[in-house]
Amino acid sequence: MFATFRQAMAWLHTWFGLVLGFVLMAAFFFGALSVFDREFDRWAIPATRIEPQPMPSYEAVLRPAFERMQPTPEAIDAMRPRANGALPERFDTIAYWSAYTTHRDPVVALFAGFEVPNARHPGEQIHAEATVDPRDGHVLRDDRLKVGSGFFYPMHYGLTLDWKNLGIWIVGFSALVMLAALVSGVVMHRKIFREFFTFRPGKQRLRSVLDLHNLTGVVALPFHFFFALTGLLIFAATYYFPLGHTQLHELHDRAAALEAQQTGLPHERAGVPGGLANVDAMVADARARWEAAGKAGDVGFLVLMHVGDANGYVSVYRAGTDRIALVGDGIHFKAATGELIRVDPPPTAVGRVAEFLTGLHLQHFRHWLLRWLYVFGGLAGAVCIATGFVFFVEKRKRQHAARGVQGARVVDALAVTTVTGMVVATLGILVANRLLPVDLPARGDWEQRAFWFTWLAALLHAGWRSAPVTKGLPNPAWREQTWAIAALAIAAVMLNGLTTGDHLLRTLADGYWPVAGVDLALLAVAAIAGFTARWLGQRARAVPAEQGVPRAAVQRAARLSGAAARDPGHA
Amino acid sequence: MHEPGATTWLLAAAACAFAGMGWLALAMPVHALQAWGAPPSAAQLARLRWLGGSAVLLALACCLGSDHATMAVLVWVMLLAAAAVAMALVIAGRPRRLRLLAPWVRPQPAMS
Repeated sequence: MFATFRQAMAWLHTWFGLVLGFVLMAAFFFGALSVFDREFDRWAIPATRIEPQPMPSYEAVLRPAFERMQPTPEAIDAMRPRANGALPERFDTIAYWSAYTTHRDPVVALFAGFEVPNARHPGEQIHAEATVDPRDGHVLRDDRLKVGSGFFYPMHYGLTLDWKNLGIWIVGFSALVMLAALVSGVVMHRKIFREFFTFRPGKQRLRSVLDLHNLTGVVALPFHFFFALTGLLIFAATYYFPLGHTQLHELHDRAAALEAQQTGLPHERAGVPGGLANVDAMVADARARWEAAGKAGDVGFLVLMHVGDANGYVSVYRAGTDRIALVGDGIHFKAATGELIRVDPPPTAVGRVAEFLTGLHLQHFRHWLLRWLYVFGGLAGAVCIATGFVFFVEKRKRQHAARGVQGARVVDALAVTTVTGMVVATLGILVANRLLPVDLPARGDWEQRAFWFTWLAALLHAGWRSAPVTKGLPNPAWREQTWAIAALAIAAVMLNGLTTGDHLLRTLADGYWPVAGVDLALLAVAAIAGFTARWLGQRARAVPAEQGVPRAAVQRAARLSGAAARDPGHA
Repeated sequence: MHEPGATTWLLAAAACAFAGMGWLALAMPVHALQAWGAPPSAAQLARLRWLGGSAVLLALACCLGSDHATMAVLVWVMLLAAAAVAMALVIAGRPRRLRLLAPWVRPQPAMS
């Protein structure tokens, strides 16, 4: 089918990159935003604009909040088909209570699981969630969308397509293909080291686009490779190969029981009521043990298993802010007495590698420079994919124009939607977040709708304006949406100042970086978009002049596309 | 970045990464030509390459001064990537600025 290996790789790179690039673009872009998900949360929910707090006292803050927790009516309705007969008014058998926070979280997330009486399957649980202010245990309303951790982050790994985890499968498949695209890209790009620093913006449009594609792909190659790989690994056991829960169900249950025997952490309730000793004392004990082992002692995760039962135990996990590896260093206590049951042993070599690779991707560490470098890597990936789209379209546009084919036009419209449209939609949700009435019921749903409607509008606009592409001309939608980005970014900053009073002068003066940082980044986006839009405008005006010598232009296009077809890596 | 000392180490690492990438770029004839308009001698190019490689390694040493080894390697790799993109942009826009990185280099006259 292909004369050479390189041609086969070129075909693979072009077509797989084109089809899955749309998904990968979202994964990269929203991944880059997710690096600062907690900061977006604070920008979006002004009530949480306080400094991050350590894990609060269990006795003073968490226990009262846990005791108030019950599943929502929606969760109960969703459970009905899975139970025989009626469900109770209140769920009293607590399977677990847990609290989670990070060094960037001003709030604590609480989770509760309850056993379901009359459940069809034994062990069925119903869950509840709450977000509390760690200073006083005051419960924050849960219909406020945590735009960063509740929307950008799920977009990054699952496109928010929850049905049968479809989004997670699509993103995972794309990550797998991306690994192939990286390898095939390296095979195609013969002059990797000779052209390492090469970017020639003044040259032919096709040449400069390819330069940028190669530069962003090659320079951040380790980043792209490791993030695609670790992203796959993180979901591999849970979603892609859930062997333990499907084919090996009974074995899994027996393994869990055996593990409980070995670790002394009971797998199930005893059915005998049991008390609860002072949890704060257990936390203090755990911190003292970490400190003795020379580790920073922040508590990230606190779990109470089998609450109120004689088999109950309390697990305290460390927030591994001082290293890349996502470590837990769990310490477990008997709930009734507070006596130590177990200190998690150091992981095996394989376990260490897994912890390191997971931590590399999930970045729970405390390191602002590395965080920004991750944003750089993510955006470099997005630029690499965007320039890939543009190169694809530019290479074919004039050929398609000559043959009267619509292919380039369709791809161009989709590329506009994916590249500028995605940024427009992202700004759309931020603007909606500041414009929607404070007490709107299900406000978070409306914010998400604003995102999708803005994106749909960007798609329609890109398709509507794409006619010039059939004549080999640029699509004005690129420029128009870039202007929209500049306008929306400025609008978001101004709306934040107007609706919350936290304008840049104040946040900078107070040194409140989470909100100031989001605002400054938005202003930078506006500035870059403004320059780009102006540049695109100048170029659009220059193109008709180029068209004035159609013969030369067509000859050059034919020469370029011929060269590109022979050697796509070096057109 | 817990202590001020760590920040100083990281700034030094960033400076080394950027300078190292600059020297490595200047050691490539095509970019040397862009910077000076005339090619430096082979010995000078070799010296620039050696200098660039050393600076890149020194950047790693600075990263180790600030963080755990595992974290330092990650910071180093990402710093090099960012420095390479920054260098590519300098070469694209203002290649003659690269001369500042190697003021001692006197390119040979064009006739050679």
